[in-house]
Amino acid sequence: MKLPPVLRLVVRNFASNLDPLTVTIRFGQPAVTIIVLGTMFSTIISSSVTGGTSYTAFLVPGMIAFQMITGGVVSGNLFWLDRRWSMVEQVFSGPFLRAEYLGALVLTSLLFSLVGVGIMMLVGLPFIGLPSLSVLGTGAVLLTVALGSVFFAGLLIALGTRLRSANAYFSIQSFLQLFVIFLSTVYYPVTSKTPKVLAVTFYVNPLTYAANTIRDAFSGSLGGSDLVSLGILALLAAITFGLAVLAFRSMDLGPIQ
Amino acid sequence: MPPKELVLETNDLGYAYAPDRFAIRHLSVGLHRGEVLGLLGRNGAGKTTTVRLLTTLLPPTEGSATVLGMDLRTGGRALRSRLGVVLQSESLDFVSVERNLTLYAFLWGVPREVAKSRAEEMIELFELEAARPRKPWALSGGERRRFQVARELMHDMDILFLDEPTVGLDAIARRRILRYLKVRAERGLSIIFTTHILHEADLLCDRIAILHLGKLIALDTAEGLKQKYGGAREVSVGFVTPLPAPLRLELVAGLQARGAVVVEPVSAVTADRIAFRATGAEELLPWLSQWAHSRSIAIERMSVEEATLESAFLGMIGEADEPEDGEEKEPPTDHLPPGRLGGLA
Repeated sequence: MKLPPVLRLVVRNFASNLDPLTVTIRFGQPAVTIIVLGTMFSTIISSSVTGGTSYTAFLVPGMIAFQMITGGVVSGNLFWLDRRWSMVEQVFSGPFLRAEYLGALVLTSLLFSLVGVGIMMLVGLPFIGLPSLSVLGTGAVLLTVALGSVFFAGLLIALGTRLRSANAYFSIQSFLQLFVIFLSTVYYPVTSKTPKVLAVTFYVNPLTYAANTIRDAFSGSLGGSDLVSLGILALLAAITFGLAVLAFRSMDLGPIQ
Repeated sequence: MPPKELVLETNDLGYAYAPDRFAIRHLSVGLHRGEVLGLLGRNGAGKTTTVRLLTTLLPPTEGSATVLGMDLRTGGRALRSRLGVVLQSESLDFVSVERNLTLYAFLWGVPREVAKSRAEEMIELFELEAARPRKPWALSGGERRRFQVARELMHDMDILFLDEPTVGLDAIARRRILRYLKVRAERGLSIIFTTHILHEADLLCDRIAILHLGKLIALDTAEGLKQKYGGAREVSVGFVTPLPAPLRLELVAGLQARGAVVVEPVSAVTADRIAFRATGAEELLPWLSQWAHSRSIAIERMSVEEATLESAFLGMIGEADEPEDGEEKEPPTDHLPPGRLGGLA
């Protein structure tokens, strides 16, 4: 039986470009962060700072939110490599629509993020136990990561259509990751002592909304602010996906370095 | 024999990369089932643009084309699913050669068992056994090219586009691929083939289209092109006995009067032979025979250099390169900005 074109492309994305070492590093880095950073900072950071939980329990939802970047980066890099090695042209000259190729990239990002969510939950299990997630809470976590991965995939794909040098693409991608992670509530909460400029910057960052919503889902305290966060994430995801579509429509297929 | 079905037809097809800046223009050409059509031309002549237009990678900006009964502009997936394309640039996935072949077949929806047996066939045919477990970046340039052609042949198609498929291949590999393509064409596959190796085009192509500065300047069989555009060819004549000086001078004057350029004049040392170059060299042969016969001179041998596709090509491009008075030349198309992809089709 022939799979639908989008799924064939997703299978190809996973089979062709995700070598075991890359996958291990992508998931290994946040896993090690939970284990090492969580353990070490739990001993020095008071639970009053992290809302009454241990630092590890604070960190695990943050690392789950981080998976949306992992997924976005994976599909952004896939697209970049496909451009670099002319597979974009090869696929476009085959039985696929350009929208299907874009859809497959986003779906790849989504699947990768969701697998990452599962892994982070497993890694966090020995430290924080099984979180008491309600059906609504589980839905909120998955939706948050899904929207976030669409946001980052869209952003990096749009970037990938415009940049002609591998150096430029990977430098900007690394810088973005660093900027987005450290200027969010993934590692630390926004408190009354947080400098105002930083606090404002944190709330320009979609990862903050994602981390906060997932934390609320884990603690069973989802509320109106989380609905607003999801709305903001959905809006940002729609904007970057729209940008990616527009960028695709006028994409140069000329040589890149 | 009934005429073969026309599988591709273009009418005044063109692509402008900017207003009034055309990479290809007024292209009107047809391709029949089982026919191999060669696209020849200098770098930037519009060969790759033509391939990209006909495979829907670029949207035409003027004219029309029908491919397998479908409009090029609206055919989309239905059209592309019956084409095969070997691009000029290397395209590959980061898995072994064998996995690349089966993965590509999977993308095209080829059943797993068919893909496996076809991969074996291609690995053998394209001499990729040693390369089978290697990743594409570990292959030599020639292996990569062979791999790329092999990969495209993993799926079924009606028309195959090959953009310089034999670059970097040794003579044996080249011949092997050309022979295989010829067999596939005999079984009904239509092929559009671009190359700079004119001998290849001569061997493989049923017809050859010559593109120059984005325009089609000739379309004929290789033989037809040689006949029409073969240009001046060299004729060598040997006499049984050396010619006396007055006759030598008379012969040279007679040849020159008929437009020939004598390249080896008969002198006292070489009085038993003469060599000259002339356009339409065959037409001078009856005159030469008559001249010798009327003077009781016996000719020992007479040979005319064979016309080659290269001489025809050079003849054509040379003529086309000469601008007419007041005519402004178009810019070379190899400096074009890269093409745009157009809408999501």
